[in-house]
Amino acid sequence: MATHAKLLALLTATALSLAAAEPKKAPLDLSKLPPAASGPVDFARDIQPLFAAKCYSCHGAEKQKGGLRLDIKAAALEGGDNGKVFLPGKSAESRLVHALAGLGESGIMPPKEKPLTPAEIGKVRAWIDAGANWPDDGKLAEKKSDHWAYQPVKRPAVPQLRGSDGAVRKGSNGNQRSNTPTLQHSAHPIDAFIRARLAKEKLTPSPEADRPTLIRRLSLDLLGLPPRPEEVRAFVNDKSPDAYEKLVDRLLASPHFGERWARHWLDLARYADSDGYEKDRPRPFAYTYRDWVIAAINSDLPFDQFSIQQLAGDLLPNATHAQKVATGFHRQTLTNTEGGTDQEEFRCKAVVDRVTTTATVWLGSTMGCCECHSHKYDPFTQREFYSLFAFFNNANEKAIPAPTADEQAAYEKAKRIHETEAKQLESALDSYTVTGLPPKLAAWLKTASLDAVPWRALTPDKLAAKNGTTLKADKEAVITAGGAVPAKDTYTVEAKIALKRLTGFRLEAIDDPDPKKGAGRSKDGNFVLTRFAVKLFVPGQFEGKELELHNAKADFTQKNFSVENALKGEDTSGWAVAPQQQKSHVAVFELKSPLDVPEGARLVFTLDHQYKETYLLGQFRLAATDAGGPLKPDFTPDAVAAALAAKPDQRTAKQTEALAKFFREQVDEQGKKLKAALDDHAKKAPAAPATTAAVLAEEPGVRKTFIHVRGNFLDKGTEVRATVPAVLHPLKPRAAQPDRLDLAQWLFAPENPLTARVSVNHVWKNLFGRGLVATVEDFGKQGEKPTHPELLDWLASEFPRLGWSRKALIKSIVTSATYKQASVNRPELQERDPNNLLLARQNRLRLEAETVRDAYLAASGLLNPKVGGPSIRPPLPADIAALGYANSVKWTESKGDEKNRRGLYIFFQRTVPYPMLMTFDAPDSNSTCARRERSNTPLQALTLLNDPVFFECAQQLGARMAEVPTADAAARIRHGFERALARPPSAEELARLLKLYEAQLKLAQANADGAAKIAGAAKAASEVAEKATLVALGRVMLNLDEFFTRD
Amino acid sequence: MSPSDIANLTRRDFLASTGMGTLALASLLAEKGYALPSADPLAPRASHFTPRAKNCILIYFEGAPSHIDLYDPKPKLNEMNGQKLPDEMLEKVRFAFIKKEGVRLMGSPRKFTKHGQCGTELSDLLPHLGSIADDICLVRSMNTTQFNHHPGQLMMNCGSPLFGRPTLGSWLTYGLGNESRDLPAYVVLHAGRGSSAGASAWTSGFLPSTYAGVLFRNQGDPVLNLGNPPGFTDEMQHLGLDAIGDLNRLRHKHVADPEIASRIGAYELAGRMQAATPELMDLSKESQATLDLYGVGRKSRENPGGRGGGPETYSTFSRNCLLARRMVERGVRFVTLLHASWDHHSNINQELPFCAGMADQPIAALVRDLKQRGMLDDTMVIWASEFGRTPLGENRGGSANVTGRDHHPFAFSMWLAGGGIKGGQVIGETDEIGWGIVRDPVRVPDLHATILQQFGFEHEKLTYRFQGLDFRLTGFEGAKVVPKMLA
Repeated sequence: MATHAKLLALLTATALSLAAAEPKKAPLDLSKLPPAASGPVDFARDIQPLFAAKCYSCHGAEKQKGGLRLDIKAAALEGGDNGKVFLPGKSAESRLVHALAGLGESGIMPPKEKPLTPAEIGKVRAWIDAGANWPDDGKLAEKKSDHWAYQPVKRPAVPQLRGSDGAVRKGSNGNQRSNTPTLQHSAHPIDAFIRARLAKEKLTPSPEADRPTLIRRLSLDLLGLPPRPEEVRAFVNDKSPDAYEKLVDRLLASPHFGERWARHWLDLARYADSDGYEKDRPRPFAYTYRDWVIAAINSDLPFDQFSIQQLAGDLLPNATHAQKVATGFHRQTLTNTEGGTDQEEFRCKAVVDRVTTTATVWLGSTMGCCECHSHKYDPFTQREFYSLFAFFNNANEKAIPAPTADEQAAYEKAKRIHETEAKQLESALDSYTVTGLPPKLAAWLKTASLDAVPWRALTPDKLAAKNGTTLKADKEAVITAGGAVPAKDTYTVEAKIALKRLTGFRLEAIDDPDPKKGAGRSKDGNFVLTRFAVKLFVPGQFEGKELELHNAKADFTQKNFSVENALKGEDTSGWAVAPQQQKSHVAVFELKSPLDVPEGARLVFTLDHQYKETYLLGQFRLAATDAGGPLKPDFTPDAVAAALAAKPDQRTAKQTEALAKFFREQVDEQGKKLKAALDDHAKKAPAAPATTAAVLAEEPGVRKTFIHVRGNFLDKGTEVRATVPAVLHPLKPRAAQPDRLDLAQWLFAPENPLTARVSVNHVWKNLFGRGLVATVEDFGKQGEKPTHPELLDWLASEFPRLGWSRKALIKSIVTSATYKQASVNRPELQERDPNNLLLARQNRLRLEAETVRDAYLAASGLLNPKVGGPSIRPPLPADIAALGYANSVKWTESKGDEKNRRGLYIFFQRTVPYPMLMTFDAPDSNSTCARRERSNTPLQALTLLNDPVFFECAQQLGARMAEVPTADAAARIRHGFERALARPPSAEELARLLKLYEAQLKLAQANADGAAKIAGAAKAASEVAEKATLVALGRVMLNLDEFFTRD
Repeated sequence: MSPSDIANLTRRDFLASTGMGTLALASLLAEKGYALPSADPLAPRASHFTPRAKNCILIYFEGAPSHIDLYDPKPKLNEMNGQKLPDEMLEKVRFAFIKKEGVRLMGSPRKFTKHGQCGTELSDLLPHLGSIADDICLVRSMNTTQFNHHPGQLMMNCGSPLFGRPTLGSWLTYGLGNESRDLPAYVVLHAGRGSSAGASAWTSGFLPSTYAGVLFRNQGDPVLNLGNPPGFTDEMQHLGLDAIGDLNRLRHKHVADPEIASRIGAYELAGRMQAATPELMDLSKESQATLDLYGVGRKSRENPGGRGGGPETYSTFSRNCLLARRMVERGVRFVTLLHASWDHHSNINQELPFCAGMADQPIAALVRDLKQRGMLDDTMVIWASEFGRTPLGENRGGSANVTGRDHHPFAFSMWLAGGGIKGGQVIGETDEIGWGIVRDPVRVPDLHATILQQFGFEHEKLTYRFQGLDFRLTGFEGAKVVPKMLA
């Protein structure tokens, strides 16, 4: 063992420090501590002034570095991120004292000012040693912050504007919901705020955009689809004063509105169709949540309800199915099924993600850093982070059935048909039982004897298990395992034998009546019998005799787990029955040579389970036989055996009935046939739809919550209770133990300064490309300040006033003159406000990834507008999908026009995201995304020029141009251009396209085969050259900046 | 200012960008001479100080190669083969698959010999790497905080086990821009079957996708959608691209949006990529001697387990190494060469020789070729993975049949060469069984800080504002440049 000792010495120092990734803690030299002062110390007189002078600036009402504040008794006693800082009675062990003396981990405190004198430290020590007596200040740990975002929302007065006629015009105060602002004059409050600011900078707003631009902008913003040419014409020609408002109403009522705005929300929800991490298994039913979002937005579920249901729908009184499905929001977290992971680690990661996502989405606050330490800039401590964690810590992950209406209807129909057919088969059997069967049964009963059933159940009289399982036998000799579930166990069963001769044994593994369980005790209901052995004990002999067994057979064996293994007795193999563990099974073992049983002999069976964890038999029965010939692994009911053993005239009615049933179902040929037909039919019963929804389900009190020291889930700090950050308004829980629903409702309390501001800012960002607070995800000190703080507050007060109606808020914004302005840049604006922060014009925005795709499909006429349902897989080169883990990603292309559905339906495989989406800055769905980038890269150009999906769109646009009944190329071009861009080409543009037309046509005519390929024609023909040319032109139109830009 | 605005600042602003987000709106509006959004985000930029390295080739082997069988000889471990680990130690550590009861030390069957003037010991599985031992800085004292593959890969690639962070390649592309006029700045090549990190191995995370790696393929178009649609000749393509450019210019005249100017630029670059990439991928101008040096065209050795790849994998990896050199020659900033399946929980003595046989010759060829062409001074070559493997035999499921090793984050080996890295040396040392580090531990953030330093960056100053924080590759827990690594 000398080597071991040496090795240990060698290794522990390094391994220990590395294993826990913790810095080494050198023992403190406490001799350097100044001694405690003698004499009485008074907190108010001696200690508090010291704290105030030396500590409050970092550990007071404004800042709480390291999560510590020393100005309030309750908070000071709790300590900071790493626990308590003073222990009453033990000054030498108190971290506060170490820090003041410069012995602590974080160096001397205070770090920048003059340190405390030894006498002062001595006073602190004496105060702690005397019990740290701190008169009750009764103060709650309220925090102060003068940061704008934490101040209450106050509805500001709408600024007065001087109109072009010089008249002072006050913006309508918007206090009546039906009061639609007039379109011609800037009476809209939004415009009042924007124009007041512009006026201050002496900038003028831009004129209203032309109608084609307006309808294209609105269609793209509200539906994510470009308008059809006839829709453009109708709007351009609508001279009614409310033409624009009618358009807005029509678009808000479209089912595609829900798709467009669901996609914005799904970014926040980090929605995806797979688990993430290495294995990244598919989540085939993730769409049930996505479809909930679409439906909720289409029905304009008020935003407060929309939010509360997603955070805590399961906790609402009498929660509906839809409200439970809504909690799928927080089931979009990643799941790591990589081998060898600690599941608690990744459960904690998911809970952390739920906290940070909730904070980002509703509070516009970045809390991710608080997982490990208190926020460096914003007033959130690590303790507060885990107090939020506590709200989510008892939410378990569940799946509930969630068939679509179609699936449910199809299932019910199939079930009805199946039941009707079953009835027919039953009645055939019944009528045979009354008509054909009786004479045959009577004849059989005359001759039938016990020989028909060779097995005798063995009633055990001693049962034992080595590792703590308790075994019990019932009257039917069925042995049930109960009590502890040890990893491995060995059962012994002792029984007398009624037979004179023995030829073999039977083991029945009996399915548990609970449908979720099986014959085995493992989680999946399976068992692995690693050894089956029998010893014969004869009276007077001390040693039992091991009986030699062979020819083991079973009615079913799992692959690689044959019942023969049970005779070998190796720990690594045995008899098992997956995937049929939810059925009873039977195994038989023959004796190598028949045995004449000595008088009084007993059998001792050993059933060993040494394979992995808990693969133990749960219910089983043993039987013996004296029958000759090969034994068959079959069941014969005991009742039948008993009935046959009785003399015919002494059989009870029940026994006669059992025999009749046995004869009909297991002996008589015709009866067996009819029964088999019935059984086969039963097996074909339609399965209930497999579609499920991933939801949260609360299990109160299951887990306590502790601070994870430095974010390490294994290193538990102090326990915390569910509560909200002190800088914000107090929580008003419904009961003593606050829950997720309390948290969700707290977000929408009228005094919440953040939720409304953050939410309206999201909507604003989606309509202008940039939030009034550009950092939509961060309203903290590191975030940007609002460009128009009063407008932000006006909107934040307006949203709840509109009953949190998303559609009403959007309508209010898009009917403003500010929204309707032209996006054309002006030199003076380029000079003075290059980033258009002041909105003297609309922004031009490159379309988002999904919208780029949708615009292509729509303009070409290929779009399949179906809403909802399982996600789709458009064409993808095989080698791209093959980059998933160990070739596990199966990308089966969607058939027919399923592949032409909108971008938001594309199956999002987290490790192998659909390349086009990523090329156009779709989020990776691994964490919440409040704001997308809009990059501009050559890969985008290559995708739009050459990706087969987009090229097919060009071919279709070419075909649409070719269909125009004209011989005039310019007319064809005009048609295609209007389809793509919702406006006619200018003369210059038309000339350039005609020039291209001539040149391409020449090349196409010279290259008949190429032209046929381009046009998608079966063979080369003279008219194909023109078709190919139009395809080439369509391709150019669809690659114009304007096409995938919202002007 | 939004992150995209920050990304578009001029060089001076870029280098002084810390604190920009706090500037008041008024001063923002007043600020003149601030780059317009049209500024090319990939324009070459200067770093904080003169860099030693300009290009990087990262060879990343997913799955964690065994340091004990490749880089870190442990004769004592071989002596102790079959012995138990002391219980006191077992209690403190964590395994992925190993059953603590009955676990035993497992020696390595590999023979180690000294190579080069420096005398660095390498396994008999890496004979060719021996020939470049004097150029290699072998680090035997790497360690990581992550225990499972994907989080470990994120840690090594992005400096954090969390998703959503940019890779080293993205950071360098963001910091330095692109030297190539017609190829992407950051390219990824792949060999063998699947990948366990997927696209997260080349993601730009919170940086704009401009800085993401571009995956080059081994079949079809080298870059997805690089080729024209069926039937389109180059001439037709040019006609189309010219028209797109002209019509976009007309639009630009009308709406004056600088974004259109950059769209025109992107389409022109796409056209140049179409022209330049076939030349890049065409190895016919390379001499037979060069092809043989890298092993292009060789067949894989027998692969009984089949996990590391098929008959073509060796040649694909050889070709990727040669392409990496060609890319760097053409100005590509960062090349990642990926291969998965080094996760040898079992069959290590069959599967590791397969993987090493794939890696050894072409990587040695790459370093020699770069050196011979005078490119190694500017080009940093890195061999890396997420962690190493234990000196214990893996008895998964309590099995007596021990043929592999479990994960080991506490100590592992990797190496760097070129780009101002001091070759011919070994940094750090593990204990007698290769379990813990006894000298000069190097954490992942330290490695990243050192790499950034060679590319001219102070790691604390190469930052990007996201969710209110100035993120950096090296994280917030501190990182130290490892001076010993530097020439």
